[in-house]
Amino acid sequence: MNGWNGKILEIDLTKQTHKESPLDIEMAKQFIGGRGLGARLLWDLVGPDVDPLSPENVLIFTNGPLTATGYQTSNRFSVTTKSPLTGTVLDANSGGYWGMQFKKTGYDVLIVRGKAEKPVWIEIKNSEVTFHDASELWGMRVFALTEKLGQNNNKRNVLCIGPAGENLSRIAAIMNDRERAAARGGPGAVMGSKNLKAIVVEGSTRPEIMDKERYKFLMYETKKLLAASPLTSQALPEFGTVVLMNIMNNIGALATRNHQQTQFEGAEAISGEELTEKYLVKNQSCWACPIGCTRISKTEKVEGEGPEFESTWAFGAQCGIDDLPAIIEVNALCNDLGLDTISAGSTIACAMELSEKGYLDSDLRFGRADQLAPTVEAMAYRRDIGTELADGSLRLATKYGHPELSMTAKGMEMPAYDPRGLQGQGLLYATSNRGGCHMRGNMIGLEVLGLPKLIDRFQVQGKSAFVILNQNSNAAIDSLVICKFTNMGVADEYFARVLGAVTGIPYATGELIKVGERVWNLERLYNNREGFTSKNDSLPPRLLTEAPTDGPSKGWVSQLEPMLKEYYRTRGWDENGVPTPKKLAELGLENLL
Amino acid sequence: MIDPRIYEMFREIGEDLFTAQLISSHGGNLSIRLGDRVIIKRRGAQLGRLKPHDLIETRLDKNDSNVVLASTELLVHRAIYLNTPALAVCHCHPRTAVAFSFSRDELVPIDNEASYLLKKIPVVTEEFASGTPQMANKVAEALKNYKIIMLRGHGSFATGQTLDEAFHWSTCLEESCQMELAAKIINEPFIEYRGMSGSYSQF
Repeated sequence: MNGWNGKILEIDLTKQTHKESPLDIEMAKQFIGGRGLGARLLWDLVGPDVDPLSPENVLIFTNGPLTATGYQTSNRFSVTTKSPLTGTVLDANSGGYWGMQFKKTGYDVLIVRGKAEKPVWIEIKNSEVTFHDASELWGMRVFALTEKLGQNNNKRNVLCIGPAGENLSRIAAIMNDRERAAARGGPGAVMGSKNLKAIVVEGSTRPEIMDKERYKFLMYETKKLLAASPLTSQALPEFGTVVLMNIMNNIGALATRNHQQTQFEGAEAISGEELTEKYLVKNQSCWACPIGCTRISKTEKVEGEGPEFESTWAFGAQCGIDDLPAIIEVNALCNDLGLDTISAGSTIACAMELSEKGYLDSDLRFGRADQLAPTVEAMAYRRDIGTELADGSLRLATKYGHPELSMTAKGMEMPAYDPRGLQGQGLLYATSNRGGCHMRGNMIGLEVLGLPKLIDRFQVQGKSAFVILNQNSNAAIDSLVICKFTNMGVADEYFARVLGAVTGIPYATGELIKVGERVWNLERLYNNREGFTSKNDSLPPRLLTEAPTDGPSKGWVSQLEPMLKEYYRTRGWDENGVPTPKKLAELGLENLL
Repeated sequence: MIDPRIYEMFREIGEDLFTAQLISSHGGNLSIRLGDRVIIKRRGAQLGRLKPHDLIETRLDKNDSNVVLASTELLVHRAIYLNTPALAVCHCHPRTAVAFSFSRDELVPIDNEASYLLKKIPVVTEEFASGTPQMANKVAEALKNYKIIMLRGHGSFATGQTLDEAFHWSTCLEESCQMELAAKIINEPFIEYRGMSGSYSQF
């Protein structure tokens, strides 16, 4: 078998047993790996009767046929589960080294089910699986634990949860390689609910490549294209993802103070330029990545990875804070505690607004950098005010009678890009299968950066087609699994050809995108089965009714309703947002119903 | 009612196609996909002088009354949208590329930019090379794996997410062919400057 290893490892934590089963190759052809394969397996394994934090929920770790081949950014893995934050299908993926090492154990998929009686950690060395007592490790933070379990980037890699996951925070991340995170939607809480502290992998299997000459040529061309793109060869290596801060602020699409404004007067102070000039030690790469967007930053108190743009925004503009050292430090703290930075920052911002308006009795206030670290600590350990913030902004705002102040879609906190200044991005958030997310399709390329070409960000008619193509393309890339930043320099046609060269199965570009469409529709079916309807394809009322009073997006609100109607029609769904039998048959999904 | 912003896109690209001498006065056509709808140039309209009423909206999957107004190449545009992820199609008659298509089964650029962007452009042959289902299917099939293709003796079909993108591939192809033609006229030995250039024909 080329590309895929052909094997699934299943672990039952309740019984402390494991078994190996063959990968269904027909399923693999249809869903490739990563997010797609995870969604397909979850469909069979976890139904609507299962509580996300019960032993019946599963964690499905997947890699893809390109993983560990050495193709640019082929280091990632995906984890799929039912989200404890949103109740939707969830996949979160992460870079670094763990995904590559996991593939080298000889498995394509790891399914973890049940619940251990007491804390355990698992060690997988090729096909050898060992359960270890983790009683003494329970309570440890991520950095110390990662070191204790023997992290060695190219040889032995540690994936774990921190205190946030142990305490079942619904915004807890799964961390790997110390500071990489599969963060969104609370997969760390699922791991915590199973009493599973860590998974350590060591492997020596390298995937087989069918057409080595063709693969070598495509690697060579990809290298050239990534070097030729100013985004992947200059902007991201030099400034990291925070390069977007000033760009988004300048166009009036930087959500500020819990989305009360679309421009932040302190943006320059928390920009990529500022980070590079004053706090950057060096940049760093994941395995097999020539881009190197990772920041190693240093303040008087911490030195470590990050912060990314979204984290800087969440604790910065969204909280009205322009203190970059404080943001760097709270980002590091989230990594150490195992918390999703976007949801953590945006939940604090929600609490700040609730408090300022007198709905919540707390001293949290916009602009108070000194409150960030103590609040995040309290969230991870469920102490004091943190008890309520630990489960995200929607549960918090609902409890205090103002759910409209939660800046979420399907219960997940949205990232930095304000939909009032980016019509397509708003539609994307509203229709995202895992909730408010910028990684399930990204309109910033088209609406802001001009990738592949610039379109009018305020245009409404026809916007759904772009959103859908992006969603399908992203689902395909997530199923490969590679880093989406490669897509800033390399088009989908290369990925299809690389997939063909590695597996020996010809995939035309259109077929690869069709895989993405299949994955998207399957995820939608899953959510529909969970009870989600078109009513859940929504945005916070603020974004639909409160137009910015100044700046480049002045007077605009999200025109969601007409875009959504067009979106359903374009997707081949009925007016209630349900995939039609015709569409399901076209995608080979008709047998699932 | 077609959004004025969409009309403006068509008008600009249409004008540029004519100015760049990639079409004759009434040749070529442009379209975009809007979900299950297609917006395409009106039959007989001048691409270089498009008016708002020159854009026709019709269904993607079957005919409606507007098909009587649409470009004669509607069939091929539909086939492309139904078989590829394209959201925009640019069809033009790049004369140097058409000239090369008389004698070649594929165009493999030798210049730097087209080598980067296009790699290889397959040439598709169809006896009735305009507006037939056979031609539409062949073009759409080829575009499953390439962003621009040549129809022998006729012209190019390029796809993209935007008209701008499809236009880019079209101009890039013609520029590349003009350079190759110039190199042939100069008629001196070609000095390879690209790595793994032999693999382009395998793309």
